Amino acid sequence: MAADLKTDNLGLPVEISEIDGELKKLWEADDASTNASLINFLVYTEDPQQLSVNSEMVQQFTQDNACRAVLIAMNRKAPEPSVQAWITAHCHLQNGKKSICSEQIAFLLSGRSFGRLRNTVFAHLNSDLPLVFWWQGEISNLFEERLYSTLDRFIFDSSTWSNPPEGFARIMEAREQTGDHMVTQDLAWTRSYHYRLAIAGLFDDPVALRSFPEIEKVTIKAQRNQRTSALLLLSWVSQMAKWKSGLELSLAAETNPEDGESFLFESKDSRNIEATILWDDDGAPLSLLSVQAPGCVVKVSREKGNAHLCQEICSEGHRLNVIGPADSDKPEGLVADQLSRGGKNSLFLKVFPRFLELIS
Amino acid sequence: MSNPFREELVSRNQAEPCTVVIFGATGDLTHRKLIPALYNLAVDGELPQGVKIIGFARRDWTDEFFREGLEKLNKDVSRTGHDEEIWDGVASEVYYHQSEFQDEAGYACLAKRLDDIDAERGGKGNRLFYIASAPEYFDDILLNLKKAGMSDQREGCWSRVIVEKPFGTTLATAQHLNEVVNGTFEEKDTYRIDHYLGKETAQNIMVLRFANAIFEPMWNKQYIDHVQITCAEHLGMEGGRGGYYDKAGALRDMVQNHLLQLLSLVAMEPPTDLSADGVRDEKVKVIRSLRQWDTPELVAENVIRGQYTSGNINGNEVPGYCEEDRVDPESETEAFVAVRCMIDTWRWSGVPFYVRVGKRLPKKATEISIHFKETPSVLFNAAPGGVPDGNVLVIRIQPDEGISLRMNSKLPGTTLRMEPVKMDFHYATSFGKSSPEAYERLLLDAMAGDATLFARRDEVEEAWRFVDHIENAWHESDNPPPMAEFPAGSWGPKEADEMLKGEGRKWRRL
Repeated sequence: MAADLKTDNLGLPVEISEIDGELKKLWEADDASTNASLINFLVYTEDPQQLSVNSEMVQQFTQDNACRAVLIAMNRKAPEPSVQAWITAHCHLQNGKKSICSEQIAFLLSGRSFGRLRNTVFAHLNSDLPLVFWWQGEISNLFEERLYSTLDRFIFDSSTWSNPPEGFARIMEAREQTGDHMVTQDLAWTRSYHYRLAIAGLFDDPVALRSFPEIEKVTIKAQRNQRTSALLLLSWVSQMAKWKSGLELSLAAETNPEDGESFLFESKDSRNIEATILWDDDGAPLSLLSVQAPGCVVKVSREKGNAHLCQEICSEGHRLNVIGPADSDKPEGLVADQLSRGGKNSLFLKVFPRFLELIS
Repeated sequence: MSNPFREELVSRNQAEPCTVVIFGATGDLTHRKLIPALYNLAVDGELPQGVKIIGFARRDWTDEFFREGLEKLNKDVSRTGHDEEIWDGVASEVYYHQSEFQDEAGYACLAKRLDDIDAERGGKGNRLFYIASAPEYFDDILLNLKKAGMSDQREGCWSRVIVEKPFGTTLATAQHLNEVVNGTFEEKDTYRIDHYLGKETAQNIMVLRFANAIFEPMWNKQYIDHVQITCAEHLGMEGGRGGYYDKAGALRDMVQNHLLQLLSLVAMEPPTDLSADGVRDEKVKVIRSLRQWDTPELVAENVIRGQYTSGNINGNEVPGYCEEDRVDPESETEAFVAVRCMIDTWRWSGVPFYVRVGKRLPKKATEISIHFKETPSVLFNAAPGGVPDGNVLVIRIQPDEGISLRMNSKLPGTTLRMEPVKMDFHYATSFGKSSPEAYERLLLDAMAGDATLFARRDEVEEAWRFVDHIENAWHESDNPPPMAEFPAGSWGPKEADEMLKGEGRKWRRL
């Protein structure tokens, strides 16, 4: 174990072979609590320091999502293979009286030993419950067929990847091999959920809708580390608007890493639409989506830390200002929101080819 | 053109922006249910942008006074709490329109106001009229809406009406009201609200039955012994509700609408599709197949009515029904009713559906229990204690929405003893998000043009036909079946217990 690894919130250290027995003892010792579980929730990281952070996140997550949590941290740099495990339970009062608990098993796997990740996963699942796997960080070669063929939902955050095309290539290959059985969920996409709802809602307005065929400019502002979130949002806008794609697409990417990126789309009636993504590290992760047509601006924006989105339509003689909910800034909040919405993420898959064009 | 950004964004019909006009806006329903529902939709980001709300009522209130009252109550009752920023956004689109319900000029003025709002929106707008007034004004409101041209269909826009219960008080009055409604709005634009259908578990009945392979094969007379539907209320006539209730009674107030709707969801055949008419076609067949108790003798045999006498609930002394506030001391209105319903279809022939509803019962609970037939008792006869009762599948509608299944299990030990055990599913703890209030879902559906969870004209009329026979036996016949009594805080009159006991059954203990 790394000398400075924080483990005090992981619970009771246990031998691997004793995990089930120790969990049983844990429940037998407490008559007042109910052990609840609706999903197997696996959180995987290749950063051992993250283990304790993840345990804190699961503490929050289990307030609304009863699960068996399995936290796995892999220290692949360690010279010798070893395994450590801890068990604990996260308990929350329901309606101020009944204590509902979710059990957590945490593993620190050190050294290189192929197949250990998947075997650890397989050995500690609650049977029959859906398997939700949250992979934190880069997709490594441990993401292999015998592991992903068992997953029901695979969650990742492409905004944390150094090479998104490569990461997505692995995931799409996995989807193909599982016959699309595995639902994939990119938190970079989830992060724009309420932006998409808000823009769609604003374009229900007849004035905004009338301006739609004349849209000439799209602006997105995002933190620099949210590039994939911004590109996914732009991909959605352009895909839904049916701006030209494929060979006919006139797409000029002028990358200027300092300020942002700009793109050119072509509408059905051959007008050019200019799209710009600007980096704003002082703002919210996604701080603006503005769609501009002559005489009408439809805008969704968010201030850093604010729990609401400002939604506006500004046109001559017509103004609309409303407030709506914003997406969580915390990854565990996004995961919880996504799980509560469920679904097979078909819209993401529809937008994905356009996203690949933009990111390449 | 349609909004391209809507495509595949949410997996439901899309609610469209509109102006909601609430008639009876100063009432409890508006303050406790409708406005909090609209507010919570805004919190969840589900309320279409640009929705405006106009409260229409007789009292001389201002916009500000109306908003203040709504805000005060929203703070108390809102499911998601009260967020000032969101509330301010919603409240800024709330207005008050003072007028008598019979005053034509008031409607002309309303029409002008709606036109102005539409113009402000940049064109013609959609309108949703919610009739939440006292029922005696329904005709006036509908006729005046028509006269003022507000129910007219305008190109590219819709005008819809939501009508609250009671939808009539007899078959004849329901038919009359239907005539008036359909003379004003087309049936496709008419939404007769039954908030029970907006409850999560009620919606889940179809999913439970038709999305799980294990239940539907057994969902018939071969395997089901009987079904019980209970709606128990521990409250009596507090808050002046005796005035309305004493005119209606348990049968009209609850059975005609909520409980027959639940019964039809439990008993219907699989619909051909999930369209509003697909589902409602099957529901109405069930209600049409109810055996009619059309003589006083049949009513006496199959229906028990009762009133509570004084008693004790939660340690407090409570008065008997006839001593309640605004109740006629000589009242012949039932505060409890238990009905044996027989559905004359191939699937349900011979399977009784027992429906009971009452005030001043021990606790507040609404549930449906499916009682399966017992297993052949050849195997475990000799076991100590014998075999416990058969399996029971319970669908809890409120409170604590969920589903449980009772089954028999061997007790640990060296002897073969069996006890019932329960598998339990609770909505509140299972999905990590609170269920929306019924009114949230129903308002959104009306804005989206989805009438699946609303009652259709023929459903309402068929339910009244069933209920009318019973009412007639009670109030029009020469030898009316007697009114039973039960002490407040008990589970109803012993006559209701005897109705089941005679068939070797008993009411489920909730």
